Amino acid sequence: MRMPIMTAEQYEDSLRRLNLVVYMFGERVKDVVDNPIIRPSMNAVARTYELAQRPEHEDIMAATSHITGKKINRFTHIHQSTNDLVKKSKMGRLLGRETGCCFQRCVGMDALNALSIVTFNIDAKYGTGYYKRFLRYLEYVQENDLTCDGAMTDPKGDRRLPPHQQPDPDQFLHVVEERKDGIVVRGAKAHQTGALNSHEIIIMPTISMREEDRDYAISFALPSDSQGIIYIMGRQSCDTRKLEGGSMDQGNIMFGGHEALVVLDNVFVPWDRVFMYKEYDFVGQLVETFASYHRQSYSCKVGVGDVLIGAAQTAAEYNGTERASHIRDKIIEMNQLNETLYCGCIACASEGHKEPSGTYSVNTLLANVHKQNVTRFPYEISRLAQDIAGGLMVTMPSEKDFRSPEAGKWLEKYFKANPDVPTEDRMRILRLIENITLGTAAVGYLTESMHGAGSPQAQRIMISRRVNLQQKQIAAKKLCGIK
Amino acid sequence: MRIGLKYCGGCNPEYDRVALVRHLEVRLQGKAELVLPADRDVDIILTVNGCSIACADVSLFQQMEIRTITSFKDGEDFIKEVESINM
Repeated sequence: MRMPIMTAEQYEDSLRRLNLVVYMFGERVKDVVDNPIIRPSMNAVARTYELAQRPEHEDIMAATSHITGKKINRFTHIHQSTNDLVKKSKMGRLLGRETGCCFQRCVGMDALNALSIVTFNIDAKYGTGYYKRFLRYLEYVQENDLTCDGAMTDPKGDRRLPPHQQPDPDQFLHVVEERKDGIVVRGAKAHQTGALNSHEIIIMPTISMREEDRDYAISFALPSDSQGIIYIMGRQSCDTRKLEGGSMDQGNIMFGGHEALVVLDNVFVPWDRVFMYKEYDFVGQLVETFASYHRQSYSCKVGVGDVLIGAAQTAAEYNGTERASHIRDKIIEMNQLNETLYCGCIACASEGHKEPSGTYSVNTLLANVHKQNVTRFPYEISRLAQDIAGGLMVTMPSEKDFRSPEAGKWLEKYFKANPDVPTEDRMRILRLIENITLGTAAVGYLTESMHGAGSPQAQRIMISRRVNLQQKQIAAKKLCGIK
Repeated sequence: MRIGLKYCGGCNPEYDRVALVRHLEVRLQGKAELVLPADRDVDIILTVNGCSIACADVSLFQQMEIRTITSFKDGEDFIKEVESINM
């Protein structure tokens, strides 16, 4: 039986066959895979393929397809148990630690799992055939081990107005033409993580909708290089350091993430790729289901936290401060925060449940509590890391100065701290902390932690909806004799 | 002796599992062979776990004798066990 799992090399080759329309710094990018700014993000996704091939990681990284029985990459798997959900959380930590950044592939997995639930439920109400159609698509994704971009966030225009009242109707992605063989859509999806490293793009609506918004209540999947799809690469703090050569100033010399604005300019979607069409009453369910899965996915930040804690401890040792009691206490604090994050992603998975389609879903309350913690703790962990690292992290001259015969000798002399540690190693670990807390990787570790999978207030709304206050009041009143 | 080697997923290992397995291969050379767990004629399954949770999936090997390692010390104990069998 052929195993539908690609190697990292096969994945890279598959991306070279795509014909994406990508713009960056005002110019069309001709060679997306080898572009020095984009390539580290491709390396991170490639790691999701590489680890699935390794015996020491396949227990987490691979799964058995419930539709074909074949061994597949877990990123294409539909969760069949709470154990699958727990393994998903563990996979996030593993890959976060392996890459030290956003590895981009979770969002497609979350879109697939959400659609496996909602297409089934739409069919149950309306007698449509979305679920069977979805399973055919899923098998295609699994058999070819594809990376999917799960695209939910519309630009949203004027936040006070629903989609159908927007002055510019394209602020929310919508259908503009219905044909016998499919539909034509127009709009855009913002902040699309890993879009340029994806074979497929799975579109979902972004907010709950009413009947007037039915033209916006659509979900579908397309090859990422379909005609009419345009990608405009997002900037990251310090991104052009990747163009400077050298290997020090990037901090993370191997991996990175990326986001892009994805424009769909009158794009044709064949019917067999459409998974929701104007069933506006199921949009809220799709948004909530996807969001819960994706809030669980922030288990990756625990892995990045592992890297940052390791870097902070190393910096302390290189600075010669590791025995100071306040430094030790700060390392403890960082670990306590990081493991608290881990508790949340494991808990929402362990307390998951089976949906009517058979897919296992996370505990929504706990997933939202977990993500709410993620909006806060990485900032505090970063603050502590910067505290331990010292100001040199942001005042240190460049690698080119360090390599220069004239300036380098002074840097070598005056940035030497622990006599057993080469000055270059001290600079490298400080650059890694800089990278994660205010460089390119801070996009993923900090601001993505804040706004990715929904901004903090979105989780607070879900927490207020899911908490049973009445039962808590009953418990309190019983104990103090109130009848 | 043929030992079917099964790792946990390695999400947060407390030691280098791969280094331990290399150590086992060296120490058990000539006494035992580490092979894929699905191979035929495996005498025993050895799970190498990164921590005490020991979550390596052994559902396919329920009928077989299983040894569990969660630390380097466990590895040394396993070496002694194999050596005692081979004496």
